[in-house]
Amino acid sequence: MAILEGRNLRKTYRLSRANNVEALKGVEVSIEKGEMIAIMGPSGSGKSTLMHILGLLLAPDPNHGPAAELYLGGEDMASLSDNARTKIRARRMGFVFQDFNLVPTLTALENVTLACEYAGIGGKQARQAGLDALALVGLADRAGHKPAELSGGEQQRVAIARALVNRPEIILADEPTGNLDSDRSAEVLALFRQFNREHGQTIVLVTHDAEVGEACDRVIRMRDGRIRDHGRGVAAPVLPAIAATA
Amino acid sequence: MRLVRDLGRRKLRSTLTITGIMIGIMALVVFGSMANKIDALVKGGTDYYKGKIVVNAKGSYMGFGGAPLSIAVAGQIGPLAGVDVVVPYVSLSLSDEVSGVSMGPAPTIQGGVAGADKGREKFPMHYATGRALEATDEGHNVVVLGSDLARKYKAKVGDTVILRNVKFEVVGILEPTLTAPDNSAMVPMTAAQELYVQTLSGPVADKLNTYEIATGLVVYPTPGTDPENLADTIDAKIPGVTTMTERDFNQQIGAATSMLNAILIGIGLISLLVGGLSVINTMAMSVAERTREIGIKRAIGASRWRIRREIVLESALMGLVGGLLGLLLGFVITTLGNDAGRDSATILFDLTFGTAFASVSFATILGAVAGFIPAWHASRLDPVTALRYE
Repeated sequence: MAILEGRNLRKTYRLSRANNVEALKGVEVSIEKGEMIAIMGPSGSGKSTLMHILGLLLAPDPNHGPAAELYLGGEDMASLSDNARTKIRARRMGFVFQDFNLVPTLTALENVTLACEYAGIGGKQARQAGLDALALVGLADRAGHKPAELSGGEQQRVAIARALVNRPEIILADEPTGNLDSDRSAEVLALFRQFNREHGQTIVLVTHDAEVGEACDRVIRMRDGRIRDHGRGVAAPVLPAIAATA
Repeated sequence: MRLVRDLGRRKLRSTLTITGIMIGIMALVVFGSMANKIDALVKGGTDYYKGKIVVNAKGSYMGFGGAPLSIAVAGQIGPLAGVDVVVPYVSLSLSDEVSGVSMGPAPTIQGGVAGADKGREKFPMHYATGRALEATDEGHNVVVLGSDLARKYKAKVGDTVILRNVKFEVVGILEPTLTAPDNSAMVPMTAAQELYVQTLSGPVADKLNTYEIATGLVVYPTPGTDPENLADTIDAKIPGVTTMTERDFNQQIGAATSMLNAILIGIGLISLLVGGLSVINTMAMSVAERTREIGIKRAIGASRWRIRREIVLESALMGLVGGLLGLLLGFVITTLGNDAGRDSATILFDLTFGTAFASVSFATILGAVAGFIPAWHASRLDPVTALRYE
């Protein structure tokens, strides 16, 4: 069953009056529940934009032609208000970014429980969930440290704990290993794989890194705002033939 | 307290902004206290003139100074329709020196026969210690001191004070009224007449019978008589006198003081406006610096409302801290100012709970309102753009 499905996804950035960039030129994509997939492609291929649309951070352009469609677990996401999309991000999704993106004034634990607060969980329950999530990424003893007191790898693991703390259905990660050396990258990937296996979480990684791609179940390859290869190769599960039109 | 940590991120800027608010609130507290004091004086005047008419010789201003009046005039006013009781009094300045800066009435000596008003005087007087003057005090040099004067002389009941070179025994001390009586020495009529005669220059004084003079008369109308109408009648029928009523007092003093109050409060508000603008500036810069962070928070599920709340609370906190510090500073200034003025019986400030509370609330609300503009801006940031922001 597809947890995320999109059709006719387009996005044009208007940089100036005469300079429009078509980041996505009508993309059709389907991600199965429990998949760990990589979206790969050169810079400017539209992979981050696709991830942002799938993560409800960006709304797809309203098209002149066939309307943009986006479904999360079968529910229509294309016409939701900003507030409704924010709520879904808080409760059903987890995000990891390249630059770790922790709040500098908060401790590791507070950074993690921030996600609980936004999902409507507070107090002791949030604290316990935060500590559990930090323990999962192996940082239980660093809970009281501020980001500046943590190494890059540790900061990224805090960010992963934050993405995990609400047990979201989907984790979306934009270049999560982009600023890490290869040992730390391997640790982070192993964590993602562990959650994917143990909790059945769907994981979508945007990456440049071929090794990251190899560690995933499937690689979607993008170029010039279109998907060139849905990656349903040998290892990929059998999917409905929606890719035929691509 | 995450909010406090957020403020602490930019210590210098937050400190400067809070200092700005602090100065504004301090100005508001100090000027507001001054306005309170003026209001209390005016209110005291209004209360004093309520339901009575004060008659002075023509050429007097508000019952101060001016020419002596013969007590015989009381006999002329008494039979007029609507007059209940006429009470002569003597009022003279406690010292001949003219004080350069003076808030409200200068210290005075007030003489009158105790009980002559037949219970008509309703202005409330409470005695901190000692007793009120009595009719039997006539012929004795005894005095009831207002609270400011008592403090100035460091006098207590039983002490002797010197008023215009004459010794008086203190028999009572009044509670503060925040208005004219605080600065008055109340003596028996005869004692006041004796002191008053000495202030007149030779030839005039010689012609007067000391015990027949007054500086004014207080006329109490019969119940149901309009004091303003009776004042008009007295003005028309009795030659050589001028009348003063509650309405006259309000017209002369009330109008002038409300203008002064408006100026004082205006100065305070302008300083706060500047403080408010600096809150907007600080928070706008802080939002710009935190664009990325706002992007992360939005991405992981913070609603627009939550982002707005965060920034509004932070700036309200700045307002609150500035307000409390300003109040503290204002309190110190008004207290020191009053202490310094106490020796000369010049109490400039009256810092009330209302003024304190209003100032701090105002600072907090100002901070919140000022924060709303940058908060609105922050909440409209697109999470993806904000995340990319360097």
